[in-house]
Amino acid sequence: MRSGAISFFRSLLSLWLTLALFSCSSMPENVKTVEKMPAIYPDYIGVTIPAGIAPLNFDALDEGVGCMDVVVKGSKGGELHANGDWVDFDVEDWHQLTAQNRGGTLTFTVSMEKDGQWTQYKDFKMTVSSDGLDDYGLTYRRIKPGYEVGGDIGIFQRDIHSFEETAVLTEHILPGRCFNCHTPNRNNPDLFTLQIRGEGGGTLIQRNGKQTWYNTKTDSTKAAGSYASWHPEGRYCAYAANAVHQAFFVGNGQRIEVYHNFSTVEILDTKTNELILSPLIQNGDLAIHPAFSADGRTLYYSTSKPCRVPAEYEKVKCSLCAIPFDASTGTFGEQVDTLLNGPATDKSYTLVRPSYDGHWLMYTVSSRSNFPIAQNDADLWLMDLKTGEHSELTEVNSRQSESYHNWSSNSHWFVFSSKREDGMYTKLYLAHIGTDGKVSKPFLLPQRNPLKYYRELMDAYNVPEFISQKVEFDAREAYRQVFRDERVGVKVRGDK
Amino acid sequence: MFFGIGVFLFWYLAYPYALSYQEQYQLFLWTGDYFCERISVPGGMSEWLGEFIVQFYYVEWLGALLLAFLFVALQRVVWCTMGAGHYLLSFVPSVLLFWLLGDPSVLLGYVWALLIAVGAYALNKGRGMKSLMADALLVPVVYWLAGPLAWVYVLLRLLGGAWRLSWMMPFYLFSLQMMACYWLLPQWTAEMVFQPMQFYRIPLQLSTLMWVIPFVTILVVLFSRQKSAAWLIPVEGAMLAVLCWLSIGSGYDKDMYELIRQDYLVRNERWDEIVKRARDYQVRTPFWSECVNLALSQQRQLAERMFTFYQSGEDALIMPRTRDLTSMLPSAEVFWRLGMVNSAQRYMFDTQESILNARKSGRCTKRIAECMMVNGHYQTARKQTGLLKKSLFYRAWANEAEAMMRNEAQMNAHPVYGKLRKLRYKEDFLYSYEEIDKMLGLLFMNNQENHMALDYFLAQLLLKGDMQGFTQYLQLAQQYGGYRYMPIGYQDVMKCIQQQGNVPGSPYAAYAKRMMQKGGGE
Repeated sequence: MRSGAISFFRSLLSLWLTLALFSCSSMPENVKTVEKMPAIYPDYIGVTIPAGIAPLNFDALDEGVGCMDVVVKGSKGGELHANGDWVDFDVEDWHQLTAQNRGGTLTFTVSMEKDGQWTQYKDFKMTVSSDGLDDYGLTYRRIKPGYEVGGDIGIFQRDIHSFEETAVLTEHILPGRCFNCHTPNRNNPDLFTLQIRGEGGGTLIQRNGKQTWYNTKTDSTKAAGSYASWHPEGRYCAYAANAVHQAFFVGNGQRIEVYHNFSTVEILDTKTNELILSPLIQNGDLAIHPAFSADGRTLYYSTSKPCRVPAEYEKVKCSLCAIPFDASTGTFGEQVDTLLNGPATDKSYTLVRPSYDGHWLMYTVSSRSNFPIAQNDADLWLMDLKTGEHSELTEVNSRQSESYHNWSSNSHWFVFSSKREDGMYTKLYLAHIGTDGKVSKPFLLPQRNPLKYYRELMDAYNVPEFISQKVEFDAREAYRQVFRDERVGVKVRGDK
Repeated sequence: MFFGIGVFLFWYLAYPYALSYQEQYQLFLWTGDYFCERISVPGGMSEWLGEFIVQFYYVEWLGALLLAFLFVALQRVVWCTMGAGHYLLSFVPSVLLFWLLGDPSVLLGYVWALLIAVGAYALNKGRGMKSLMADALLVPVVYWLAGPLAWVYVLLRLLGGAWRLSWMMPFYLFSLQMMACYWLLPQWTAEMVFQPMQFYRIPLQLSTLMWVIPFVTILVVLFSRQKSAAWLIPVEGAMLAVLCWLSIGSGYDKDMYELIRQDYLVRNERWDEIVKRARDYQVRTPFWSECVNLALSQQRQLAERMFTFYQSGEDALIMPRTRDLTSMLPSAEVFWRLGMVNSAQRYMFDTQESILNARKSGRCTKRIAECMMVNGHYQTARKQTGLLKKSLFYRAWANEAEAMMRNEAQMNAHPVYGKLRKLRYKEDFLYSYEEIDKMLGLLFMNNQENHMALDYFLAQLLLKGDMQGFTQYLQLAQQYGGYRYMPIGYQDVMKCIQQQGNVPGSPYAAYAKRMMQKGGGE
């Protein structure tokens, strides 16, 4: 350590020089044109965006580039110009341009200056969809992509029409607690649930600003609720109740295998505080990732046969199932349909998410496991509920894990998380889906200075959800409730 | 002057490892973002200044020197606020802070906050309209710079009888805190807003001294206005001497700092000193055993001498995962040197995430980057080096690492990284602490030049009391261990086996007996 003193003054000087750097301000001159696409980050070339989204700013991938100059022209009119170290569009101007070109295209002419020489690249296009994205934004959890210690976890909300991100609940106010993500009812910020684990843990339901804290663990169900899905009417909420564990690889490929010792799916009736169970689900198999259909008449979930985990981790293959649910009586149906059979196809089908228009079923397919985010081969697939046809979403998948997808309120956009960049730090992507099921190239969640932001961000994103309006949440009240440890008890329907 | 020299010598000569401990739980970045993030909350400037100083602890003499300046500055500022007499009392807050810093969870930002609060009073002690105007400005400024310790300024002004309406100042500060609480800090509890909790590494906790010191500082300033008398000087001197003695005697827990010292020596690979120190003083914990065993293994003396030192049990070589910011560090260092790179990465990652004030660790980040580099995960490694490049003391290494990642041949030829690539497991399977002995055996079979794995494998069998296993695999030590003769430690164990433990003076027999008494072992 003492040897560090030798380089101290040199480092200090170097840092001062770094700090002394100033941004570029030159305009293109003596421009050389080349017939290739510009190397930019994020790769926004050819993506489809909604009008009114936050500006899709980008940087040059080549660190030697000193200055960038971009002209954007809309097919229906309008023009935008940006010049600087990176491409930073004015939010208002961008909104105006995208609104004007709804259903059209934007053409980007990119010039970059390197070593005093300006180069103009081949133009690229971006499509502005005629389908809007009117939701306020996204909620998601940000967590260090670590192992058994969550670290500085936080649930955040992001206005997707600007760059504003605000904290909903962070570990700063609940130190040492782990919490999973906020699950709204069909993107409604006035009704959501989240789960706090560990000491003082509990299941929170916030309805119209009022927090109610439940203890959803019972003798029959062994664990509190985790992955959740709301019935559209807002009275019932389906939870998976499970015990999640991690095991760690010693080789240099995979890092973590996440497994559940047990898991079941239950429905909480928030009116009577009863848990509704079904012998067809509570049959000894591991049921997980419940999701109500758009009309609320069906509950989808994944299920796998029990095996000796972690030793037999490769045997965890989930099937995708559906069971009827009658909201008027709060009862499950008498029959379970297996939509996709995991063991028979040697795959695992998890995290099913029906679109809110009742047209699609999006889910994750991996070679094993009921925790797809940890599986490198996890990909998104889509089922057309009208025809039963299903296919891989090749437009959005990569060689790394894709999962945690969710739908926008109009079901024309979906958000998903992907580890495509480095296999570790999950980021959020948005993509458009047409009524014909055609999916566009996804785009990375925009940031003001994306290269700097994503390079410096040491968090992974997970469990993104669209929200129609900003979530109002009293984190201090949550703190009080966690430490007060008073919970509304629940009982299993039929138990005395 | 003498006080400053004393402070410098104390930290530099007696407790350099305490400086290392503090330095390893933060990563000060020379960026505008880092600065803005810190100063965006009340008291954040003091935090930033504290972290600024702590980064220099990396160079011990420099860290000790800056600390000495800080302590002397506080004493001088307190003296400036005092009356003409009672000079010795001006040392009291500094000495109490000396005591307080013995608690390793206290952050240096607290000292800065106190200095700023008292310093503001030194600047504005007067009465009249100018001081009144200054108060209107200084209260929010001091609150923003020093956080809740702004109360020291306010109380000094109030109790100092500065001006007729000084009773309004507490309401003024309280209103500012309330506004911050409701509009600026929605993710802070009320306790965090009103108490100096941001200067304590463990959230929602405070050391009692953190309450005592502000009040004593105020009392010292107020008392100094009393007329001094000649007889008071020796009394105050004696009181100060007692306080100094108490500060060092009570503030610095011997066993805790011994463990901090061992970790510091491990971090700096000063193996001889660890073993030498272990002969003089032992702390009967798994942490201590791990450090000593690692040092022995690096000297190839584990087989010879392991049981001549205290062994905590089956966890004496590698500890199971523990959620705190210190316990896993020796195990992570062991994993790294064994070639269990993924496990080293995991323990370092979890250690870093256990820093409850959400700071990064330069030490952990560097090791995580190294693990990723050995595993060839260059993209994620660059994310770590990108962070380190913004620091002062890890910058040079990060630049070298990034250059190395562009040259695979250089990576493979690197004396540490290249070697670890050969020592790693070739087969992928799930880690199991319960089967750590088997994992160590497999690691050795994976590369029979991995003598450390062999030593650890046999040592784990002995700790576990698996005599059958030890006898079975002892031949590996003969065949591959590179020993010219059977290590004395192994000879002792064999004698114990042959004589069923009845070997007077046998270190292993003593260990086995102790374990049996604990209800474990053979």
